[in-house]
Amino acid sequence: MRLTLAIHQIGSLSLGAATLLDGNKLVVDPEELRLLILEDTRLRSVDIETVSPGEDCRIGVVFDILEPRAKEAGSGPNFPGILDPIGVVGQGVTHVLRGVAVTVVDGGAGLENGKILEMTGPAGEASPYTSLHHLVITPHSAENVVRHSEQASLRLASVKTSVYLAQCALEITPHSAEIFESDGPVVQGREGLPRFAYIGQVHSRQRVAEIDEKILYGDNTAGMVPVSLHPNEWLDGAVVTCNRAMGAETYFYQNHPVILELYRRHQDDEITLVGTLATMAASDNEERDRNCMLAAEHAKWNLAADGVILTKYGGGAPHADLSLTARRCEELGIRTTVQVSDMSWDRRAESALLFNYPVVDAIVYVGGRDTDWDVPAAGRVIAGSGELAEELGAPRRLIATNVCGVSSQQGISRLRAMVH
Amino acid sequence: MRVVHYLNQFFGGIGGEEHADTEPQVHDEPVGPGRLLGQVLGEDAQVVRTIVCGDNYATENMEALTALVLEQTKDAQADIFVAGPCFEAGRYGVAAAGLCVAVSSELDIPVVTGMAQENPGVDLHRQTLYIVDSGKAASAMREVLTKMSNMAHKLASGQDMGAPAEEGYIARGILKDTFVEQTAAQRLVAMLDAKVKGEEFESELPAPSFPEIPAPAPVADMSKARVAIITDGGLVPKGNPDNISAWAATNWGSYDISGKDGLQGDDYEVSHRGYDTRYVEQDPDRLVPVDVLRELEESNVIGELHSQFISTSGLVNPIANSRRLGREIAAQLKESEVDAVILTST
Repeated sequence: MRLTLAIHQIGSLSLGAATLLDGNKLVVDPEELRLLILEDTRLRSVDIETVSPGEDCRIGVVFDILEPRAKEAGSGPNFPGILDPIGVVGQGVTHVLRGVAVTVVDGGAGLENGKILEMTGPAGEASPYTSLHHLVITPHSAENVVRHSEQASLRLASVKTSVYLAQCALEITPHSAEIFESDGPVVQGREGLPRFAYIGQVHSRQRVAEIDEKILYGDNTAGMVPVSLHPNEWLDGAVVTCNRAMGAETYFYQNHPVILELYRRHQDDEITLVGTLATMAASDNEERDRNCMLAAEHAKWNLAADGVILTKYGGGAPHADLSLTARRCEELGIRTTVQVSDMSWDRRAESALLFNYPVVDAIVYVGGRDTDWDVPAAGRVIAGSGELAEELGAPRRLIATNVCGVSSQQGISRLRAMVH
Repeated sequence: MRVVHYLNQFFGGIGGEEHADTEPQVHDEPVGPGRLLGQVLGEDAQVVRTIVCGDNYATENMEALTALVLEQTKDAQADIFVAGPCFEAGRYGVAAAGLCVAVSSELDIPVVTGMAQENPGVDLHRQTLYIVDSGKAASAMREVLTKMSNMAHKLASGQDMGAPAEEGYIARGILKDTFVEQTAAQRLVAMLDAKVKGEEFESELPAPSFPEIPAPAPVADMSKARVAIITDGGLVPKGNPDNISAWAATNWGSYDISGKDGLQGDDYEVSHRGYDTRYVEQDPDRLVPVDVLRELEESNVIGELHSQFISTSGLVNPIANSRRLGREIAAQLKESEVDAVILTST
């Protein structure tokens, strides 16, 4: 499978009379975009604003962040199962507005434990999102729309906006192209290179996904067993985050740090990237045993992997699925590294790990529990309501785990908890 | 900077094992390695008092020795207390670490000691002390004293302590967030690459090591046993009367089930944020199986179901806290003459 990302480097973002890309300047017609978003009758209105890199601005609660991308005709669907009908992604040409993000505000979420995008100051510097131009959309629900429908409308608005923006670049020659090509497990001519795979959780059923919560090709992960995905499918819209994602945004599925790093080494002929599996963290033991077993067997017999990287989703319980899968891989002769999130509330290393398998011995530990910033009142605030804006904009303590991207579980985090 | 130094009888120049019973001696000058310590500490510091004590005496009279060291250190108006280095000497290490803890907490001045990773003094007090990694060889005395001196200056001036590897102390097992150059993804792939190739790699979290808990003797006769249920799944009576937190709970509750053939969803709720609680809320017997245990009681498979079940929330609970909860619960059940326990988790 071969995917070409046609990269349009964007230097400025503004609102204007027509949506167009002029050199590296992106102009967005908010009225046209508004009409498109409001085709969804679950919404009554939407605020559309731009935020510049490093601007003194605080945004919350963030539902999701996406990179604007659109598929060329004949290249396959955009966000299949959410926006377009089901069809395979990861091939053909996808146009990318690099340097821009679509940031969606969830007005129905409370600030407690809600994700915040802080665009300036030390908290902002720690986030991978502050160097981007953000088109921030804040949809407002129609009356009597139940919460999960409201969230579903946010999801639809997010992907619509992402595609709408990038469509204006379809006829324009990009600045550069990034090519991602892998023949998967049957690859020829790379004998002797270690075969690496990725197993990534895309949901944790600690919170059961809503019936209309679209995560993997539009599926809500109920009854899901491990799914084989070509690495390109992650990058090209097969996976989005759930309704209340901790430490994950769709932007870093589209720019998946683990997959991009594996691809980099693949292209440098250091390793062979043989494939990936998407898994969910189970809600009961039988489901967990079944899924962990299937994922490991899949990595062994279908991918013939020598090494596997595993990442988790959600909170504490998914560490069980992560470590059990890794243990089974190790027992099958596949070496593993795992990324865990910071679970030590007393800052003791002895409380940090939620598993204890001697063979799961290569751990990347993402911190976050003792990093916070006291931030002053924000110069500008974008929130779901005036009340929320007032609360969010006041001086407050920002905890790393609540600032978008800082303690990401997708591999982009630079925050490490060291044992002292 | 005024330094008080503690040494055992061997390094204090009295002699080997045959002098291990030597009672504490106080000198108003550096002794043995203390002279070298004075040199490496530099001009602005001096060893003003040395306490030398036999290893056996220290082991058998720790309380008296501690009192003496506290008194002498205070009297010497010490700015810092240094013990050792002890290398692999176990009794010496245990005494040195114990004295450091006492001086630190009673006199509130910085303390420094040094010993080998294997020294039992490390296991006892690594979480509270900065213990310089001395290695096993006493021939490295100058190098070790230099590290201890650097640490003394650093602690005395109140500077932030860096990572164990860069400062030369034995990891205390405390987590500190640090921003690093490489992303987690880069570290994951690099670590896997090394592991697959059989090269050395360093996990960011060393494997936890927990003491083995010996299993108690099996219950001789279950048909005569009193059985209790403990759950960490957070089942509590409606209203959560003991305010058990939904995560990292610091307390536990004991709830009466006498006369009940099963638990009704209307009477209970779940205080736990880590799992899908709906099925337990529908029927609490799924977590705390009173219904089945009553049947087993009636058919005399078990002697008796204890009149209370015990509940807490195990979610992200620090180990130290969990240990305390466990000890408290076990003590109460022991008092209630419970013979066996069924633990249910989620």
